[in-house]
Amino acid sequence: MEIILFKLAFAFCLLSTAGYLLSLLTKKVVPAKISTWILVIAFGFLTINLFLVMVNPAGYIKIGSREFFSFCAWVVAGVYLAFQMKTKTRILGSFISPIILLLMIAAAGRESGRSLVPEDMLGWLTLVHLVLVVAGEALFILASCAGAMFIIQNSLLKHKKSSHMSRLLPALHDLDRINHLGLLWGFPVLTLGLFAGIVFAGYTWESGWPGDPKVIWTSAAWAAYGFLLHQRLAIGWKGIRMAVISCAVFILLLLSYSGVRFCFSTLHDFV
Amino acid sequence: MIALIGLNHKTAPLAVREKLFAGCQEESDLPVRLTAVCGIREAMFLSTCNRIEILTRIDGQEETLYKLRDFLAASGGLTPEEARDCLYLYCDENAVRHLFRVAASLDSLVMGETQILGQVKDAYRRALEKNSTGAVLNRLLHRAFRTAKRVRSETAIAVNPVSVSFAAVTLAKKIFGSLTGKEVLVIGAGEMAELTGMHLVANGISGIIIANRSQAQASVLAEKFHGRAVSLEALGEALTEADIVISSTGASSYIVSADLIRQVHHQRKNRLLFLIDIAVPRDIDPQAGAVENVYLYNIDNLQDIVDENMNARKKEALKAEAIVEEEVKNYINWVKELDAVPTIVLLRNKVEEIVRLELVKAGSWMKDMNETERQKVEILINSIVNKLLHNPVTVLKEESSEFKSADIVALTRQLFRLDE
Repeated sequence: MEIILFKLAFAFCLLSTAGYLLSLLTKKVVPAKISTWILVIAFGFLTINLFLVMVNPAGYIKIGSREFFSFCAWVVAGVYLAFQMKTKTRILGSFISPIILLLMIAAAGRESGRSLVPEDMLGWLTLVHLVLVVAGEALFILASCAGAMFIIQNSLLKHKKSSHMSRLLPALHDLDRINHLGLLWGFPVLTLGLFAGIVFAGYTWESGWPGDPKVIWTSAAWAAYGFLLHQRLAIGWKGIRMAVISCAVFILLLLSYSGVRFCFSTLHDFV
Repeated sequence: MIALIGLNHKTAPLAVREKLFAGCQEESDLPVRLTAVCGIREAMFLSTCNRIEILTRIDGQEETLYKLRDFLAASGGLTPEEARDCLYLYCDENAVRHLFRVAASLDSLVMGETQILGQVKDAYRRALEKNSTGAVLNRLLHRAFRTAKRVRSETAIAVNPVSVSFAAVTLAKKIFGSLTGKEVLVIGAGEMAELTGMHLVANGISGIIIANRSQAQASVLAEKFHGRAVSLEALGEALTEADIVISSTGASSYIVSADLIRQVHHQRKNRLLFLIDIAVPRDIDPQAGAVENVYLYNIDNLQDIVDENMNARKKEALKAEAIVEEEVKNYINWVKELDAVPTIVLLRNKVEEIVRLELVKAGSWMKDMNETERQKVEILINSIVNKLLHNPVTVLKEESSEFKSADIVALTRQLFRLDE
């Protein structure tokens, strides 16, 4: 049952991404509107899928397995759809949906139900750590995508290019607001997620974890986001500067979660 | 025959348009008087600042067309030369095409403008009130509205602004999204700045500050917009508050320097700032546009956008013309359907079908009759039916021609429910 739901969710994610990209290429809003509803359906299938996994007596989400990545895709899609309802900037989906699809592709390449976390590490703190970190990242992804769109729109307006693309992209002020909200909500959520991880590691791993490359990179990204939020709230940074730095920090975050995994040995590798 | 006579900005100079406009304005019952002219069956009178037209359905005689032209010329006090040189006359398919193009704003001075459709609708409403339209013009007008709607929704003809002030408002929306709650600073009390300010006020800006060398002139404009006036010395402070700045003074040097923008930028907490410089020579240092989160557009930039949009509209107009042609074809097909011959065939088929069904029903009590008696009854029924149909069919045949018979054919189809 779960595999059928996953396949359906995957197919709808693929359709949604294609629709959003079509919207970007044809500079028409209708495909983006349809894609949003397709993504809602994909989100629905993923929700049922994850619910069935959760109620499975074998345990909750298996870290590193298919369910983990589909959970990440579910959180990113959920955060985007919630933002979408509030801001009505459908074209943001053209930037977010490929990320959701990538997560689903990663999930499809994994084995279902295979736990990559030792049994003794399973506990509610791991779950809290996992949920909050993924949710925090999803919000940062959203903030960075808005930043990327801001950079494009800013460039078009600065160079006086009244193109179809400019009409399709949301107003600068709206994009800046999405970036602001993404940071404002993402930072405390990520902080709490990291805190749960630290507490858990303090009890379980005892020593060695503060020097773990993934922890260091994540802390660097967390500090960078903290710095950004501080500059925005206290100093009043806005607009293009925030957009550029958000994108740069997002790349840093990507490195921490993928690059480090392949280049360094990390305690977060449970294989 | 459908006939359309009139003049517009392309065929008549302003003086002639004014004369005809004034003459026709005095005649509030023009459609009624038109239908009283011999040979005119239906009429609608359209009058806008750029065109005056009469749409009619007339009996297909050339003489009626002359009467129509003389009527319009006399209403506006036009000389015979003016009437000959300025008035255009379209018949049947060309009249339909012209009306559809007018409603779709393809014949307007500013192609794609949205006002004309409302004006055609108003003209139709007035004609309806005066009961001067009938089946043919009603259908034609509804088709014209449908064509205009299709052009509006299926092409981007009205999407891009084609005036400098509208282009400025559109850009402001691209930067700020909604303009509600935004503050506008107008430097100088020029006409162009006033016009752009008016558009911005109409789009919901919360406040307007007028800065001018002459405080008195600034106060007059500020009062008009319910804003406040400041002197040019207080420009720095006003720039701190403003989100949108429109400048159009006659100053020979820069009023707003790049340094001033940099200075206020920090006080503004890096808020987005849209500078519109419509003055020649320029009021705002071009370097100000390089400051982050500041977007500077001068009159040439805005004019380039307008030109670009105008070209885009011309491209969209090709698509719109195709839609118009399609709708003209549809309408002509409908008119041809109203041709008498298919209607006569439909009428005969319907009656024969009724006779057949009734004979089947009567089968139960006719079963005792022999074959000869049955045939006699059928002959009797057919004879009555043929006699009843004779007059309607004769009248339909007599009236048979493309537009002329439309009225009676439509009525016949309605009376016998032939379209069901």
